[in-house]
Amino acid sequence: MKNALSRSSVRLAIGLVAPLLLILWWQSQASGATATFAPPAAIASALAELLRSGDLVRDTLATLQRAFTGLTIGAPLGVAAGIAMGIWKPVDRLLGPLLHALRQVPMIGWLPLIGLWFGVGEGTELIVVSMSTFFPSMLNSHAGVAQVERRYVEVGGIYCFTTLQRIRFILLPAAMPLVLTGITQALAFAWISTIGSELLTGAGSGLGVAMQTAQVQQRLDVMLVVISVTAVLGFLINQLFRRLRQSLLRWQPAQP
Amino acid sequence: MASQPLAAAKATSFRLKRPQLAPFAPPVLLLGLWQLACASGLFPPQILVPPSEVAKALGGMAASGELQRHVADSLYRLLVGFAIGATAGMAFGVALALSRLIESVLSPIFHTLWQVPVIAFVPLMVMFLGIDEPFKIAVVAIAAFFPMALATFDGIRGVPRNWFDVAKVYRLTLLQLIRLILLPATVPAVLTGLRISLTRAWVVLVAAELLAADSGIGQMMEMGRQLFQIDVVLAGVVVSGLIGFLLDRGACWVESRATRWRTA
Repeated sequence: MKNALSRSSVRLAIGLVAPLLLILWWQSQASGATATFAPPAAIASALAELLRSGDLVRDTLATLQRAFTGLTIGAPLGVAAGIAMGIWKPVDRLLGPLLHALRQVPMIGWLPLIGLWFGVGEGTELIVVSMSTFFPSMLNSHAGVAQVERRYVEVGGIYCFTTLQRIRFILLPAAMPLVLTGITQALAFAWISTIGSELLTGAGSGLGVAMQTAQVQQRLDVMLVVISVTAVLGFLINQLFRRLRQSLLRWQPAQP
Repeated sequence: MASQPLAAAKATSFRLKRPQLAPFAPPVLLLGLWQLACASGLFPPQILVPPSEVAKALGGMAASGELQRHVADSLYRLLVGFAIGATAGMAFGVALALSRLIESVLSPIFHTLWQVPVIAFVPLMVMFLGIDEPFKIAVVAIAAFFPMALATFDGIRGVPRNWFDVAKVYRLTLLQLIRLILLPATVPAVLTGLRISLTRAWVVLVAAELLAADSGIGQMMEMGRQLFQIDVVLAGVVVSGLIGFLLDRGACWVESRATRWRTA
């Protein structure tokens, strides 16, 4: 038994058992009298329909664009703030308590307020996504700079490094693994908060908007297609960034 | 916290006062600026109300009992959903880590579902469960389930192999194995998982209440937005932040208390 389980082909086959059973059960439920369940066949045809009309592609691109725009605004600001707080104690003392207080509010909880200020639309969603990517980037960059070994900094002192040189040659490379961890987390947060804010504001196009519309129209098949796309894309983005991180950190000794 | 007595011993009491007050300076300054900006008439009151108004709104809602009702409803959902989700997550994590058969059957589907943001399940669950209490409790339970299951799984997988061999030598039963070896060895990982899933459950609950609810902090904010009551919205932001902070701090405290023996 143990030997069989360690073979990858056998493991794969066993891993398919539960999803297959689920689909079978699903199909049997769907063919019953209650129509809430959409049979798997209907989901496949909904996928084909959404692909043909181009809605799915449009929504996916809109969501991806929103998430990445938010990430490119929020993450660099977060990294900069985190590094500044890690290097200069006064900045940490001044900004730290404020940022940590703001951090406690669930990111989606800002939506009503920002919606009041900037109207329900693209701007509001981008602000929320940027904010949700800011905090993980900041926290990890701060930790990354704070845990740089003192002796490295002292070596820099011996070479009479300027502050910029110290950042460029010592602090940044040493903090890089945690900075990248922060950005990886920010990526996941960007994805979640984009879907969430799209669900809540329902403006423009996007996967969250499509989900909301499907709920209103009671189209379970469409909803399941959108949820699967969300899951697959989230997974792919994470994998992509993990690869990127590994190749960026080739020079590091093996990560724990 | 632990370093404070040390710092106190090193610094004179005069020098100690300033760094201790420093963290309060920026928020106080910000509150002052905020109040001034409102007093100057730069922003119309529909856009920004002064902090005193927010405090007044909070006081008013507290006096009428409305605030307590929203907070109590939210916390009740959090507690019930979290209890269900965390327990199920822990059990699932234990099963997944201990049995290779269960792992190979269920882990692919688990890892796939885990990729979906919990909030994406909200419309689906509204369709099946409606927008009543079961829906919100289910959202919280799902949000708590995944981090808990992962943390428990990682915690048990982190137990050194030879501890299991020792258990085998002593012919421990499964129950004894769990109680005598797995439980103590995985307490830190499980507690961290509890903390993460608690804060995550809170975030997801607020989002779910924003989307569909008849009471709760999230619904309070959403109603405030629809009625353009910016003081209520800001009060909701403050309260939800405060609750999130207290939950995280409380869990941190429990975590450090329960794992004290490790550093000793």
